[in-house]
Amino acid sequence: MKKLTALIATLCSLVIVFPIFYSISASFFSYADFTSIPARLLPSVPTLENYARAFKESNLERFLANSLLTASLGTALRMAISIISAYTFSFFTFKGRDVLFVLIVATMLLPSDALLLANYTTIRALRLTDSYLGIISTLLLAPTHIFMLRQYFKTVSSEYREAAVLEGCGDIRFLTTLLIPISKAVVITLAIHSFSTIFNDYLWPLLVTNKESMRTVQVGLTMLGFSENLDYGPQFAAITLLITPILIAFVAMHKPIQTSVSTRFAGR
Amino acid sequence: MKKRTASLLKPYILILPALALAVVFAYRPFLLTLLNSLHTVSLQGQRLSFVGFENYQRLFVSQSFQASLSNTLRFTLYFVPTNLIICLGAALLSNRKGKLATLNQIFFFLPMAVGLSSAMMILKMMFNPSIGIINQLFGSDIQWFNDKHAAMALLVIAGVYLDIGLNFLLLHAALRNVPPELHEVAKIEGANSLQVFRYLQAPLIAPTFVFVLMTNIKDAMLISSPVLILTEGGPFRSTQTLVYQMYLEGFKSGNYAMGSAIAAVVFLLTLSALLLLLHLERRRVYYQ
Amino acid sequence: MKRLFIYALLVLLATQSLSALGQEENQTDAVTTITWWHPNSGLADKAAEALVEEFNSTVGKEKHIQVQAVYQGKANDVLTKAKAILQSSITNDLPDLVQLDGAAVLDIRDNANLIAMEDLAKADNYDLAQIMEAARLSITYKEKMIAMPFNSSTILLYYNKTAFDEAGIAKAPRTLDELALVASKLKKTDDKGKVIRYGFANVPTTYELMVWLGQQNGLSYLTDYENGHTGNPTKVLFHENGTMVNFLTKWRALYATGSLENLTSDLNGAFASGRVAMIVASTSNLTTIQSMVGDRFEFAVAPFPMVDEKATGGVNVGGGAIYALNNGSGNEGAAWEFVKFATSAKQQLVWHIATGYFPVNRDTYTLPEFEAHLQANPHYGVAIKQLLDSNPKLQGMWVPSAYQIYYALQSGILKMLTENLSPEQTSKALETEINSYFTEFLRMQK
Repeated sequence: MKKLTALIATLCSLVIVFPIFYSISASFFSYADFTSIPARLLPSVPTLENYARAFKESNLERFLANSLLTASLGTALRMAISIISAYTFSFFTFKGRDVLFVLIVATMLLPSDALLLANYTTIRALRLTDSYLGIISTLLLAPTHIFMLRQYFKTVSSEYREAAVLEGCGDIRFLTTLLIPISKAVVITLAIHSFSTIFNDYLWPLLVTNKESMRTVQVGLTMLGFSENLDYGPQFAAITLLITPILIAFVAMHKPIQTSVSTRFAGR
Repeated sequence: MKKRTASLLKPYILILPALALAVVFAYRPFLLTLLNSLHTVSLQGQRLSFVGFENYQRLFVSQSFQASLSNTLRFTLYFVPTNLIICLGAALLSNRKGKLATLNQIFFFLPMAVGLSSAMMILKMMFNPSIGIINQLFGSDIQWFNDKHAAMALLVIAGVYLDIGLNFLLLHAALRNVPPELHEVAKIEGANSLQVFRYLQAPLIAPTFVFVLMTNIKDAMLISSPVLILTEGGPFRSTQTLVYQMYLEGFKSGNYAMGSAIAAVVFLLTLSALLLLLHLERRRVYYQ
Repeated sequence: MKRLFIYALLVLLATQSLSALGQEENQTDAVTTITWWHPNSGLADKAAEALVEEFNSTVGKEKHIQVQAVYQGKANDVLTKAKAILQSSITNDLPDLVQLDGAAVLDIRDNANLIAMEDLAKADNYDLAQIMEAARLSITYKEKMIAMPFNSSTILLYYNKTAFDEAGIAKAPRTLDELALVASKLKKTDDKGKVIRYGFANVPTTYELMVWLGQQNGLSYLTDYENGHTGNPTKVLFHENGTMVNFLTKWRALYATGSLENLTSDLNGAFASGRVAMIVASTSNLTTIQSMVGDRFEFAVAPFPMVDEKATGGVNVGGGAIYALNNGSGNEGAAWEFVKFATSAKQQLVWHIATGYFPVNRDTYTLPEFEAHLQANPHYGVAIKQLLDSNPKLQGMWVPSAYQIYYALQSGILKMLTENLSPEQTSKALETEINSYFTEFLRMQK
């Protein structure tokens, strides 16, 4: 029974990984390989031409830089806002606290995709098109994160905070030296989730950026514009370049990632 | 005196960013959208005249909207159970010890490393009917982009691929949190795997499962980017979804009134689905 | 409290620098920079860059004009972006020139920021008769040429000559009736009765219907206001004037032979793999199909099939045009210099050879190099002869909700075929649905 499970699991996981393998192989295809019938799995004669073209014919480095920048800054801001808000709602009492909390968290039910048109008008009016801030603006508020963090912070005894206040510890110090380290697991998970959400955002950056120099890599990839003649080579090269470092990082860090997504978070 | 006011104001100031964002990017646009949906709107985005529910009436009568609604609901119906079974199955199957298990786990959450457009483009190439590798490997000649059912299936596959990374991670973690002592006890009492799952694991991973379920439903109702990149609503509108139609009407045709009406319908549907789920959760889920 | 202040200040600084990071500095120097947004990819992109290079180093250098070509995605994407800016009140982000296709006309033609190309030409005493009449008319609105035709193409029948020879078919079909006959001869089934090769594959797109309906009786309009060229269409005419019913009848007969496959995408692939023996496609697909087919079989091109013997209108000019926009920079004169250069006889020859798009300048056709090029590439000869034989008044259709109409037409025709409805029913249903889109659009007008 155990062996059967192992076998099925391995087969399934190989299926899941196959597209990634295929894309790496295809990045070495020549144009003839792409259009060959029957379709090929491996390149006939591996070529590096696609990689050369991907860099030469597009602004790939810039796209990547834009994506990394917006994802990093966006994640930092998003986490900061979430943590500070959750902290305030957990450890302070003030008038209207619960109402305000519901107000903020209820936005979870107003998905930004459905608000695309209206948000676009807002961004234009604020003159934030073609800017990093414009790209991450709709993702800065994370109601689910605030909710989860507050749930988690509430399990931290308020005695800690009382002691801290008595000792003259300010809010920021309390956060950085006590609260966040305790909540490391949740924070890391949410940060990973934020990063991936912002990095993967497609429709919004597409609409909000006009200048090529501001494009994120998700949008830039689809605009490598070679697929119309089935000239997929450079796109696959770009994709492989894009996912290789992330793949390596994931594989290398799989233990910390897995252990961080555990206990409190999963138990909600 | 200053210190006291300051400390009274402090919490409000701290939550100000979140509140401001909520108003600017959620509540205000939402109200504007509803407002627009009750008017005719010019190409420049200016409200022209109040027409009450006329936009909604025209919307519900239009074939295009009916197609979007049906497609989105059908997609949700196909996608959510499929995705949950695959992700849960993957989590259960790889819930073992050993190096092979670790390898399985890495493979299962690797798709998270592949971004959205990368994944879509890879799939687009792989599933090309004439020169794609899928038809070649399986010896089939399914017209993935020309046949309604195949195109919908492709969309479901695309959706699963996009979600499996994170969902697997969450479910896998939830499974690992089931205290091993309880597993031991179950084994001693002679329970088989199915019973272990039903009576031990399922109740304990329920909160996570519900969370995954809720986000999946929300994602399914809102699906748009895969449609944009893979099928563009085709063939014959069979993969045109609500948000995609909203994009077509609002951005391509400049019909803001119609686009806003569709947005309002999307809200309503998603909201109902989620509230229903929350209600069910409250009654049936066990929290530690 | 102090900490709070610092925190707030930091956030403010961060957000300031974030938005500043995104904006690019405007350089002011003696050179006028013209931005040109375009959807040209692959080969066409290379040709566009070469064109810009050539201009910048010759005329541009002389007149201190530098052109910057920016690829903005597919034609749809370019339009989406341009529209987004046009619809707001802040228009200095607009490019000086933008290349768009027919689907864009409706959004842009009445816009206050559009500078009609005809006006720029007149200001420079440029004789518009140099531009091919069909091309010029294709972009004329209310009697004025609003943009410069640039990447023009037309539609052809591509067929598998090897398969034709095997089946003993000597000539390509001229009419839909002949097409039905030829297609059934080319159909191949295996011993289990499954079709392994279809004679023809297509579900008519708006563009193809435009030609099939418009060419009937010498010239026929699909909508009022001359297919939208003299004003916003209010209703379709294709039902009243019987052209749709005529076409659908022929189409149904074609389907009845069992040799028509209802494919809407990947037609090139299906043709190149030998699965389908004939397709209709744009002239701009020629090089792609050539490389996909390779030496698998011999293929050839023929004029687009006529609906019947009376459908003599020929084909229309499709493709895109370059529009000039007013972004407050006063660069229209410089922009015109580039457009003039790009559509000059010699440059159009270079452009044609590199991309396969038609030369829009009449003088290109009499250049000796052009004749030599045609000799070496007879496929283009077919396309050009077809265009020159057509009625130049056969114009494209400028209608709102292009995507929705495209789907309406395709779904309607598919329904007729698979549910065995009558052409009259189908034509009427299409009339109703498309008219509703026109009404929607009119409601949006001030």
